[in-house]
Amino acid sequence: MAAQKSYSLPSFMNSDSSLPWLLPLITMLIVFAIIPFFYNIYLSFHEFVPAKRALLFVGWDNWIRLFTDGVFWGSLKVSLYYTFMCLLIQLVLGMGIALLIDSDDPGFGIIRSILTLTLVIPPAIAGMIFLIMEDANYGLIPWLLKSVGLIGPEDTILADPTLALWGVMIVDIWQWTPFMVLILVAGLRSLPSEPFESAVIDGARPFQVFRRLTLPMLHKVIAVAILIRGIDLWRMVDYVFVLTSGGPGTATYTLSLYSWQRFTFVQWGYGATISLFSLIVILIVGNAFIHFAKVKW
Amino acid sequence: MIRKILAFSIALIFIFPIFFLITSSFKNNIDLFSLPPKLFLFDIDFSAYERVFGFSKLLKFDPSYGELYLTSRILDSLIVGIGSSSLTLIIGIYAGYYFSRANFKYKNFLIMSILSARMMPLISIAIPLYFVYEKINLLDTYVGLILIHTFINLPLAVLLLKSFFDEVPKQIDENAFIDGASKIKILHKLIIPCAKGGIAVTFILSIIFSWTEFICALMIGQMKIKTIPIQASIMKTIPSWDMMAAFTTISIIPVFIMILIVRKHFVRGLTLGTVKE
Repeated sequence: MAAQKSYSLPSFMNSDSSLPWLLPLITMLIVFAIIPFFYNIYLSFHEFVPAKRALLFVGWDNWIRLFTDGVFWGSLKVSLYYTFMCLLIQLVLGMGIALLIDSDDPGFGIIRSILTLTLVIPPAIAGMIFLIMEDANYGLIPWLLKSVGLIGPEDTILADPTLALWGVMIVDIWQWTPFMVLILVAGLRSLPSEPFESAVIDGARPFQVFRRLTLPMLHKVIAVAILIRGIDLWRMVDYVFVLTSGGPGTATYTLSLYSWQRFTFVQWGYGATISLFSLIVILIVGNAFIHFAKVKW
Repeated sequence: MIRKILAFSIALIFIFPIFFLITSSFKNNIDLFSLPPKLFLFDIDFSAYERVFGFSKLLKFDPSYGELYLTSRILDSLIVGIGSSSLTLIIGIYAGYYFSRANFKYKNFLIMSILSARMMPLISIAIPLYFVYEKINLLDTYVGLILIHTFINLPLAVLLLKSFFDEVPKQIDENAFIDGASKIKILHKLIIPCAKGGIAVTFILSIIFSWTEFICALMIGQMKIKTIPIQASIMKTIPSWDMMAAFTTISIIPVFIMILIVRKHFVRGLTLGTVKE
């Protein structure tokens, strides 16, 4: 109780019952988060049986199938690879660009406005843009890559098992690197200038300033950016849906897409099991990250 | 100077696909497929737009492609976007204000729950919800899609509004309370006018995120309701680049206008109110 007093909040709210203020929010959380969560658990122990045209109890079958299903492990690998690689590339690129455009000059303000634009394009639409640009015969990107000899004349991007995922990741990197840039620039702009001035006077080299001053002071901003971007990368489905539909073969199935695809194949229970697995992973990792990175709201 | 040139060339790389898309929508079928691409010098051709809007009566569509009436797709997206954002605001204002002003036992737990809701892979909500909606006849209805988009935008709205309310001095409500005003009246008459800029920002950001949402719109909307991203995913089966480009160009214009209005607060919205610009 003593700790709560130290917030020095107005006392008039504390005496109130919180229920009327929060009831709509709590209702929404129960209806759209708690109920679907338990319904998912229910579904993961059931499966639609075509012969009987009914959803029947199957025990642990779905979970056993999950851990012995090669496509599931493949999609888990794709999701992990996609999340980590995109996060890493976007963070590094974003930091570089943010340091470049961190300036009071009005010209850089225009650049920030331009970078905002990619972020509001619906991801499915961004996928369409790159579907045109990555077309095997008439696309701009394969043509460029062939001109400089990075890929052979017969190679394609989206139909190639090893390149297809990168063909999807390039869209994500194009669309969301500005996300990192804008957040990091906002963080950089809010830093006090005195420590940097005295570091320069003391003769610190730029890289030292970045490692010893900028990075530690930006710690909170970077953590928030990683958290939010990581969440969205893990549940990404739009790009693969539009660009490859999971193909070629099963090379670009993410967990969410595989779950959706099983659902459309009337394997409702198995689809729900995959989505539940993906949900549990992100809840554990996300909440642990918030705890250890000390992100505060 | 070098720094400026470098920065602008990076901005050009990021803007290029959008530029490429818009120019493609005005190209005829020969320029569209030419390599190297014609970026500036091409014959301007509006036929793609006529077909996308369904204006061209002469052109009969192959029934297997379906007809593309973009106006109704935009209308669907607007109804769902504005409907869900309004509902989000109503719920978010009361919850956000309470979070900003009060201190209570389960506050941290509730904030963590809201963040956990933000983490949920949308497919794990959409599959169970499909069965629930099927039972109560909400599949393929505006109400059904508005409700789920409201839930998706709630974490953003509650936490963002809380951060905007935090900026309104607490002295204001305390003084009014001592003068005998009721709490609900303080919020309506004093706090909301003080934070109306922030409320408008939250509203527009919610519309944007509803406009871009994909998997729930795909599963809850079926035949009647198709938001813009869903139509985009269907269109990839139509091998007509100029129509694809025209469709996408028109569908991103509304969000571009919206984002230019709220640009100053966009970073704050993306980070759920934690990082301010």
